[in-house]
Amino acid sequence: MAKKGNQDMAPSRREKKTFGQYVLALILLTITIITAAPIYLVFVSAFTDEMYIVKNGFKFFPKAFSFNGMHAVLRYGKQLGTSYGVTIFITLVGTVFGLLIMSMFAYAISRKDFRLSKFLSIFLLIPMLFNGGQLSGYIVFTNYYHLKDSLLLLILPLCVSTMNVIILRTYIVNSIPDELMEAAKIDGADEFRTFFQITLPLLKPSLAAVGFMMATAYWNDWQNALLYIDSNNKKPLQLLLVKIQKSISFLLSNSNVPASARAALGGTIPQYSSTMATVIIVIGPIMIAYPFFQKYFVKGLTVGSVKG
Amino acid sequence: MKDFWKNTIKHWPYVVFALPVFLVLFFIMYVPMAGLVMAFKTFDYSKGIWGSPWCGLDNFKFLLASKSTFITITRNTVLYYIVFTSIGTFLNVVLAIAIDQLFFRKMAKVMQTIMIVPVFISYAAVQFIVYAFISTDTGILNNTFGMSTRFYSTASLWPYILTIAKIWKDTGYGSVLYMSVLAGIDSELYEAAEIDGAGRWKRILHITLPSMVPMITVMLLLSVGNVMRSDTGLFYQITRDSGILYSTTQVIDSYVLHAIFQNSNFGFTAATSFFQSVVGLLLMLFANWLVRKIHPENALF
Repeated sequence: MAKKGNQDMAPSRREKKTFGQYVLALILLTITIITAAPIYLVFVSAFTDEMYIVKNGFKFFPKAFSFNGMHAVLRYGKQLGTSYGVTIFITLVGTVFGLLIMSMFAYAISRKDFRLSKFLSIFLLIPMLFNGGQLSGYIVFTNYYHLKDSLLLLILPLCVSTMNVIILRTYIVNSIPDELMEAAKIDGADEFRTFFQITLPLLKPSLAAVGFMMATAYWNDWQNALLYIDSNNKKPLQLLLVKIQKSISFLLSNSNVPASARAALGGTIPQYSSTMATVIIVIGPIMIAYPFFQKYFVKGLTVGSVKG
Repeated sequence: MKDFWKNTIKHWPYVVFALPVFLVLFFIMYVPMAGLVMAFKTFDYSKGIWGSPWCGLDNFKFLLASKSTFITITRNTVLYYIVFTSIGTFLNVVLAIAIDQLFFRKMAKVMQTIMIVPVFISYAAVQFIVYAFISTDTGILNNTFGMSTRFYSTASLWPYILTIAKIWKDTGYGSVLYMSVLAGIDSELYEAAEIDGAGRWKRILHITLPSMVPMITVMLLLSVGNVMRSDTGLFYQITRDSGILYSTTQVIDSYVLHAIFQNSNFGFTAATSFFQSVVGLLLMLFANWLVRKIHPENALF
């Protein structure tokens, strides 16, 4: 790792400040701006006056600002608050639980003197090669486990992934010397203390990277919610987004809905600016958390293979 | 065998460690695998998967008979895979090299941070962004260029829309992996090349690119195993699951999702799922076999 620092400084690796470097910088800057533009558009539209959007369409530089969109969203606040709670709950519980059981499993299959680890590795690998697909999953979970409308179905399907276990296992094998674990055992620590006090703390960089990816997956999961969740008090944020879209397209496709009815619904069904305001509220926390985890991405996400 | 059990009992804490994941995988992943037998049954909700009567290959005959849907969704799935993978890999590599070559390191870091952001926005949210660009009356495209294209009912435009959305969302993050390879190239190689009089393009061509080839091959081959699976959100959310667009936008995964909500055609859907899983398995085995031939150390198993 120390070497990497040197490379960044090495003069021969990159051209000095030549004309070409400025051209390259300009091209990359353009790409960055193009990437950021749609996100910027969400923010600016959320604070654009509704009538202005209806008349002129979405604009990068609108001329009429208003907080009405944000107000409207916060007005139907109760559901938003509940959904925020649900999303935070499943994200936290799912990520912590998943990280814990996956690192325990990764630790077990990385032990060379544990003969069962070969079977466990194969057991771990098979779901990556072959799976039952959405339909039979849906029927098994609802018809046999009777978990329809249960938060368990938002947590369990995303908490273990073969790829993440492999990443954690690779990190344990490559970056945590066996001698440390041996030494702890000689000092009288049992397996559980060794794992929780030596291995787990050293696994931190990998846990941070995998954990952030998991948290994002939980936060962004709309599919399981759409399939399984019915009651309002269990709807996560993403489902709210999906439903907003459904109600808008319903309104637009039924042009024979009388104007007065539309006006009456106007307060509860968010149109352009308030939809964008909702998007901000939904994606905001990830945008804020992401820079803190970015430094772990390259270091913590090296994938190896499952074979010992 | 006796040794094996002795060893397992001796290491009982490891068994305890492995148990939770074992149980989750068993109930969440393995049990639904057995559910695939539905493909050979006439499914009846009240009787469940096991109680429903067998029907042999009827569902598959149905699949082949109703050619158009099955062929359309399979063709779309495979074509989108090819387009996304080829364009995606190319852009990931080019972007990684470009950022790596940039002299202004602080700027490179900031730009990379921004380019990764879209991968963390869910498709449920992305679809509103796409809407802002292409809606007929309020869309930026129509307003800027004075057009009145009805994007949401013109199927022929959607391969482009979906490809652009996918590139926007995934390219920044996709390049991170290749950046890590580039960071690992020994600086001495570059120095030696410079002393030998190699210019910038020569160095990229003869040092940078060859050192990326193993990673590119492995990523490509491993992705082959996922040909039959798609980014469901892209096809289901961004298109708003609109029937008019199905001919160019419906893939196997979004078809199955739609069928579950419609609660219909379970026989057909089960047969499609079965086809998807089996072809996926074969492709995965094939891909891993290829990786093992070319770069044994990168094979998954």
